[in-house]
Amino acid sequence: MTIRSLCITAVAALSMAAGVAVAASYPEAPIVYDKPVKGVIFSHKTHVEKGLACDMCHNRLFEQQAKKAQENKDFVMESLYQGKYCGACHNGSLAFASNTRCATCHIGVKGDARAKGGAKGEAKGHH
Amino acid sequence: MNKNIDLNNLQNEGVENVPMQERRDFLKMGLAITGIFAGGSLFSAVSTFNSAHASDFAKKYPYKPHYSMVMQQHRCIDCERCMDACVATNHVPNVHGAYRTTILEKETPDAVGGKREFIPILCNQCNLPQCTRVCPTKATYKDKTTGIVLMDIKKCIGCLTCQEGCPYNARYFNEEKKAVDKCNFCWDTRLSKGEKDTACAHACPADVRIFGDLSNQEDRVFKIVHQIEKAVWVLRPEAGTRPNVFYTKG
Amino acid sequence: MAHHHTTPSLNELVTGVANRLKTAGTGFYLMVFIAAAVVLASAGTGLMAMIKGHEAYYNVYREVPWGVLIATYVFFVVSSTGLCLISSIGHVFGVQDFMPIAKRSVFLSIATILSGFFVIAFEIKLPWRMAIWNVISPNLTSNIWWMGTLYGIYLAFMFAEYVFLLMNKHRPAVICGFSGSVAGIAAHSNLGAVFGLLMGRPYWQGPYMPIYFIASAMMTGCAVILMFHILGYKVNKQEMAPDMQRALEVTTKIGILLITVILFFTTWKLIAGAAGQPNGAYPVVQSEVFGHHAFVFWFFEILMGMAGPLVLFILSKGRNLKLMLIASLSMIVGIFVMRFNLVYLGQALPVYYDLGVNEFKEMLHYSPSVYEWVITAGGFGLTALLFLIGEKVFDGHKVEDL
Repeated sequence: MTIRSLCITAVAALSMAAGVAVAASYPEAPIVYDKPVKGVIFSHKTHVEKGLACDMCHNRLFEQQAKKAQENKDFVMESLYQGKYCGACHNGSLAFASNTRCATCHIGVKGDARAKGGAKGEAKGHH
Repeated sequence: MNKNIDLNNLQNEGVENVPMQERRDFLKMGLAITGIFAGGSLFSAVSTFNSAHASDFAKKYPYKPHYSMVMQQHRCIDCERCMDACVATNHVPNVHGAYRTTILEKETPDAVGGKREFIPILCNQCNLPQCTRVCPTKATYKDKTTGIVLMDIKKCIGCLTCQEGCPYNARYFNEEKKAVDKCNFCWDTRLSKGEKDTACAHACPADVRIFGDLSNQEDRVFKIVHQIEKAVWVLRPEAGTRPNVFYTKG
Repeated sequence: MAHHHTTPSLNELVTGVANRLKTAGTGFYLMVFIAAAVVLASAGTGLMAMIKGHEAYYNVYREVPWGVLIATYVFFVVSSTGLCLISSIGHVFGVQDFMPIAKRSVFLSIATILSGFFVIAFEIKLPWRMAIWNVISPNLTSNIWWMGTLYGIYLAFMFAEYVFLLMNKHRPAVICGFSGSVAGIAAHSNLGAVFGLLMGRPYWQGPYMPIYFIASAMMTGCAVILMFHILGYKVNKQEMAPDMQRALEVTTKIGILLITVILFFTTWKLIAGAAGQPNGAYPVVQSEVFGHHAFVFWFFEILMGMAGPLVLFILSKGRNLKLMLIASLSMIVGIFVMRFNLVYLGQALPVYYDLGVNEFKEMLHYSPSVYEWVITAGGFGLTALLFLIGEKVFDGHKVEDL
């Protein structure tokens, strides 16, 4: 017991020191958009680990509420190319451009099903 | 030692600035330039065997129009609108293993920038179809005017030899129709009614599926298949079926 | 051949059959009852699947559309062709030693092919369409069309041959037997070609299959002839005549030869699938030799189907009927599994395997459903039923002075 709590304390302390603790309350599970197309992933973890702070996106580009952006009519690739939403950084200079590496964020219906623990995408396993 | 470390850390500077002459020289060697490094002094290249092959057997276009599809593989995001459109248009039953087109997923952890690729597949409407050769009753046949591989469902005995013969897993037995079912480029549901494309190509939001006429030099499909900048390939060329569905990326 | 029979009247024939059936023991009737029950259960299951849709009852699926019923069909037509070919050595090609096995073998070649047709009728989704469109819309490039048509012709010749043998009309029997053998070889090699000429299936593809099928049929024929002749004498509780013993001795010898031929074929099939690691075949051969299919391959196909019987046949010297019966039974079980392996393994590797996609990274699996097994059992039940009835009706298939 004591060793375990010691470890936890140590990890917490290290995280604090590394400045990760500021983002301690970000959602662990990736967000998967399903509009206007299915299966587009955003991982807080990946972005926080790159050193991005919450206020770099919230609430300037995205509201706090998950998937709120997909209610907007302009939540399409064209907007990203114009620097909106993800396109603010994914413009080819800060991060890879929105019109490249499509399948990095577009995990598709299969990736979505897998993220949700579904078995779709496996053609086998009959009966 | 130092040089080795440099080589490993080279950044691809893109192929946009490679002079055309350079590209043509490489193409003559059967290679396509895929990247340049170190200020244009180093090239990386891949074999163009597949694309050379593809345009070789694309030489003959016996049909007018010669229906064909090109998949811009790198653009596919597996949103599966094509599959939904196909199911709705062609009344594909909602049971396991029933589909005319689907999307396969390939993980590419080592590729620069990409984690995965999606590969749409459907009937390749082969010039030398195996399915029609093996069918005992001519229930499946290559249509003489359109070149599309069609089904005459009343003749299908359900032996499923065509499913064994197809190198593309493009066929399944449809319990509702009581016959083998397959993609027919939406011949009965769209093309014969005057539409210019298939339901899947029409539904694609990412311009992955390009449907067109290989016998028309002005057609986009013709132009993509015959350009020399990017590799164009077909699936399972070794099966010798001369497919009419082509793939490209980059 | 010299003397003409006084043809027995119909009444005499009927009385003879009735007497033989009367004298049969309860064991015989129990076996007939079991066989008939299995056939009925099988037919019922098959009809149910046909009416309600095969999909709900069979475990075959899109990527593995051919299962145990195709394997069973192949097994029965292999047996039939083998019975026809081995027995023709005697009564068609005149090798005296083989004469005594002629009648029973021809009868059984009909019984086994009917069993094959019985099973395939439930495997094909719409067999009634076949009867129509095979005739009015034939596809001459289709091996399955040729196979079906030639087996139809084959069955007609074999039937005619048996009738002529019963009537002791030697010459037309020989003509029909020869024609039946030719049709059988053509049909059976076309069955091999159904698999062998599929360009997209590297494990099957090539001229190997049609050739292998013929050699394999002859091997199977030896096993089936030995088993049914020894069983036939047990059913009829008769002492085996010296000429029949001699016939089984030479059949055993031919069996030994053909087992070594098929072992040789199998060896080279494996080497060809391993050397240079050919795409599409190598992973299959790997799984066959030391992968997940290895036990089935080594135990059933190699040990029970060939190596074991080979040793037993040699030990029996063609005279120890008990050893020969055990060997032939083992062989039949092994050969059945051999046919299953052939059908399944050719499909086991997905057509998109080399594409490296998640959906098709692994070998495909298939194990038959209970319904498929019941229909399979019906095939064996039908052969058993016809065999048992045949023994009594045709009086042990006695060959008189052919």
